[in-house]
Amino acid sequence: MFQNYQKEAFFDEMFGNDSNTSLPHYQLLENRFTRLQQKELIEKQRLVNHGFLEQGITFTVYGDDKGTERIFPFDLIPRIIPNDEWQTVEQGLTQRIIALNLFLNDIYHDAKIIKDGIIPESVVKEAAHYRPEMCGVDVPKDIYLQICGTDLIRDDKGKYLVLEDNGRCPSGVSYLLENREAMKRAFPQLYRECGVRPVDNYPELLLKTMQHLSPRAGQTPVCALLTPGVYNSAYFEHTFLARKMGIEIVEGRDLIVLNGYVFMRTTHGLVQVDVIYRRLDDDFLDPRVFRKDSMLGVPGLMEAYLCGNVALANAVGTGVADDKVTYAYVDDMIRYYLDQEPILESVPTYLAWRDEDRKYILDNLESLVVKAANESGGYGMLMGPSSTAAQRAEFATKIKENPRNYIAQPVVSLSRHPTICKDNAIEGRHIDLRPFILYGDKIEIIPGGLTRVALNKGSLIVNSSQGGGSKDTWVLYK
Amino acid sequence: MLSRVANSLYWLSRYLERAENLTRLVAVNRYADLDSIESPSSSNDTLWHPLLYATAAQENYDKAKEAAGKDIDVNWFITFSISDGDSIRSCIAQARENARMVRDQISEEIWLELNSFHLFMQSQEAEALWKDRPEDFYRRTIKACMLFSGLINATILHDEGWHFIEAGRFLERADKTTRVLDMLAFESDPDRGKLASALRSCSAFSAFRAESRGEVTLENVVDFLLFSPSFPRSVRFCLRQIDKQLHSISGTSDGSFSNEAERLAGSTLAQLNFSNIQSVQSIGYHDYFDELQQQFNKIGRQIFETYILLPQEINSLPQYDRTQWQWQQQQQQ
Repeated sequence: MFQNYQKEAFFDEMFGNDSNTSLPHYQLLENRFTRLQQKELIEKQRLVNHGFLEQGITFTVYGDDKGTERIFPFDLIPRIIPNDEWQTVEQGLTQRIIALNLFLNDIYHDAKIIKDGIIPESVVKEAAHYRPEMCGVDVPKDIYLQICGTDLIRDDKGKYLVLEDNGRCPSGVSYLLENREAMKRAFPQLYRECGVRPVDNYPELLLKTMQHLSPRAGQTPVCALLTPGVYNSAYFEHTFLARKMGIEIVEGRDLIVLNGYVFMRTTHGLVQVDVIYRRLDDDFLDPRVFRKDSMLGVPGLMEAYLCGNVALANAVGTGVADDKVTYAYVDDMIRYYLDQEPILESVPTYLAWRDEDRKYILDNLESLVVKAANESGGYGMLMGPSSTAAQRAEFATKIKENPRNYIAQPVVSLSRHPTICKDNAIEGRHIDLRPFILYGDKIEIIPGGLTRVALNKGSLIVNSSQGGGSKDTWVLYK
Repeated sequence: MLSRVANSLYWLSRYLERAENLTRLVAVNRYADLDSIESPSSSNDTLWHPLLYATAAQENYDKAKEAAGKDIDVNWFITFSISDGDSIRSCIAQARENARMVRDQISEEIWLELNSFHLFMQSQEAEALWKDRPEDFYRRTIKACMLFSGLINATILHDEGWHFIEAGRFLERADKTTRVLDMLAFESDPDRGKLASALRSCSAFSAFRAESRGEVTLENVVDFLLFSPSFPRSVRFCLRQIDKQLHSISGTSDGSFSNEAERLAGSTLAQLNFSNIQSVQSIGYHDYFDELQQQFNKIGRQIFETYILLPQEINSLPQYDRTQWQWQQQQQQ
């Protein structure tokens, strides 16, 4: 099955850099797939897809009036990470979330990092998600980022790099958990033989993380998950997590604030809520403080939050930490707050508001990736090498008009992974990895993460909205 | 329980019950048509069509017909149309939409079955089966609906949410049985075939035989479908269930009430408990059924106002602009 496989000039997760035999931790998988008949493979894929559709593990395609639901394409060849490699990643992520939290606490209090000249004040204050309302506010247990999804990639040498942090409402963890269930059904024997570390305790860990924040001592905290509603593309994930944690899933209209406390509207009157896992951006949380036109939020919620009567996960204002300009300073934060060298490196980043960087960006648009500072989901990007002259001109204008909003990075040739493509041929496709980090009583990272794969040939964009799919990620015991 | 969740469970169950009742009606009507010489409905003599009357779809049908500029098969319309809020297909879709909102409250089995049946109803396969072997199609639909009620009874906690589900189911059923009766009342002198169809639409033929042992006359059929104490689709049976479920929700003891929904359900039940076919006849069939239906509507509205709206806060609810609302929900990271 792998005999015609072309590695080309990329780091290949299964074959490494230059060998033609698979790496040791992929050998059981190679044997299994080599024995697999085309027919069997097609049948397994059919069953898995059917299962996703039947269970409604779907996302909604935006801009489609009929509310079409699609499954997130799933590739049957799992990505495998040996344990020692994972240990390093885990340490790097732990270091990073600690630094990001210290940073958030700092900028909303004494702003030492600005005073000490490590980060310019403008970078922080001009970030779209910076919330002056949070200045001087103490958040429960001083934790801002309880749930973080950090995107990792591997370069042409196989080195792990941080691509970005998602510190507002990162999504994808339900796919990770469902992918695992699908793989266990499709390849039970192989799964067992490989010795894969389980991930299914994530909902419990998440619940513990939330309960840790409760402002009411001495009783089981009432937690709720706040969703934007059924039209959100991650709605499946919201119900999935609420169900697995055994907590209520609420919409803004289910909550009401009275005398600075938050209550759920139930059939037997009002019930006080202690902790809200909100999957709603700051902007929409409270129409009295943020967007006035928000129909999804809860009037008065910020007041209750600032009084300390309800905890929010993540805290308000964490968006400044996952801003793409702030990203360029995270390595410095780690040095500044922890006096350590970053374990996971970042991708070199040019900031358009710096004159010399902007000149470099404008001169080298063809070889760079340009990103808008506050966009996600693969929107607002220019992929230099595959862009047209017109697109480059458009971005050049945008960058000159609004330099604070743009950064650029060299194109990293993301590692590739054997993937089942058209006509069941196995070809290399670029992948990334989104691990999920929980920061509660202690820091917990479930082994692995969501491996996203760019299914279009040559594409580097892994987002589901733009032709991306996913794989199960196996972190091994050994 | 969250008010919104209670509302979704209630409607989930109403839509499923509605789908099942519609299916029976269409299946029976189709079958009866095969024996009818004068007015097979395929000839679309639809100035007044009993099926459209019983499903309250006449107006939507007329609109659709006008828009299409030609006749539309009534059976197809009630089974598949989407312009009609209450076709079988759209009832299933709406049940599924409600289930989606409360996925964390219902069992995995209910969701799986409902979602896969919804996918079937939306598919080409469904219409193909309907054209080819309509009997099979309707049997399959009824089976699916029965499967849902079985799963609801056997796989979720019989707690508050379940009481809302049951209240919804029986309110919907009482309404539909009354409509079937009203359909008979509309005809001056329904023949035996029509009476038998009415019984069959409520799956009541053999139960009628066993319990009433009478002839199939209008009087006997009305008596049975209104007053039977033990047939689960009689109006009286349904009302007793509604009364019981509402008391279970509030914890109020039988024979008293703590809100308007309970008071209405209890008094309608009492009125029915102490009536007989003669008192119905003295009021007139149609007027009597019409009054019952109005009572059911009021009970439904009162359930909503008591448990879902929490009146003291109604005024604080913003007015939703639907497009804007959907757009705002689509943020993601």
